[in-house]
Amino acid sequence: MSRDVLVIVPSHNEEASLPQTLSELRAEAPDVDVLVVDDGSRDGTAGVARACGVAVVRHAVNLGVGGALQTGFRYAVEHGYAVGVQLDADGQHDPRFLAELLAPVRAGDCDVAIGSRYIAPSGYRAPRARRAGMVVFSTVVQLALGQRITDTTSGFRAYHRRVMEVCQHEFPKDFPDAPLLIALARRGFRLREVPVLMRERRAGESFYTFGKTLYYPYKNLLSSLMALLQRHG
Amino acid sequence: MELLSRTQLITALGAVALALFVLDLVRRRKLSEEYSLLWVVATAAVAVLGFSTPLLTGITRLLGFLGESSTVFAFGLAFAMVMLLYLSVKLSRLGSENHLLTRELALLRHELETLRDDSDREPA
Repeated sequence: MSRDVLVIVPSHNEEASLPQTLSELRAEAPDVDVLVVDDGSRDGTAGVARACGVAVVRHAVNLGVGGALQTGFRYAVEHGYAVGVQLDADGQHDPRFLAELLAPVRAGDCDVAIGSRYIAPSGYRAPRARRAGMVVFSTVVQLALGQRITDTTSGFRAYHRRVMEVCQHEFPKDFPDAPLLIALARRGFRLREVPVLMRERRAGESFYTFGKTLYYPYKNLLSSLMALLQRHG
Repeated sequence: MELLSRTQLITALGAVALALFVLDLVRRRKLSEEYSLLWVVATAAVAVLGFSTPLLTGITRLLGFLGESSTVFAFGLAFAMVMLLYLSVKLSRLGSENHLLTRELALLRHELETLRDDSDREPA
């Protein structure tokens, strides 16, 4: 049987949560391939992942979640996968929703499926500052695209091969959120949200913490604006 | 010709010394020709302004600066800003290239490991 789905797991110092995430993934979706992108971890992330029997690509230095994802896309394109799924290592993303995320991309209804926390009531409550940020960026995306994306920061997404082919070369650095969605939609890719439930992270640190609280909004607003202004051929 | 003021002389000699130092850095391959160009042009401009009083006073009047030394400093500052911006652009590009190389290296290394594993498994 040929496997055409690659689940890309960007991981930075996730040795504590990775084994459970991977075994859960294997149990829920035995017929997909998994690639762990170890983004310059200083702990045993790569070793833990290899012990689980999945493919591991290691960055020598930390590039951030965007870089890890881009490496995953490149790998997926080179190895001929039809769909790539981004899944966090920390257990926030429930692999039970994998099939629902894949379905619209496979059926050709959209090119990017975004697993969204906010379509269905899920009980997920983000900290207030983050909620404010989410409203802002959701509005930014809506203004830019005329399409409502409730969960712009969701890192649980499925990408069609066409999208990965473009993204392996051109990709917003640092945070693949609102600017990425705007850039993709401007290229003519169709985005769609799929309701999912998300859980609390199991262990490790969020990509979005340390000292980036000021830089994040600035960078994301600017790069959203640029994504709108830049030419996409 | 008017006598050079002390400030002018110090500025001009400083600029010449800096130009020589920059050229020496190029000679010792510590600085690439590309980056030396901006420095040489800037130091030459400051040196010319410093040595030529009529030119300096002319430009000062034209631009409405209060004193000749302000003109020299204004040119120096403008150059520093341009250089910093230029370096930021270069740094951004260097960052992207570095990013790309890190990813490429990771994929190549993975490929190498896969090939090695495969060849280990084959019977000798």
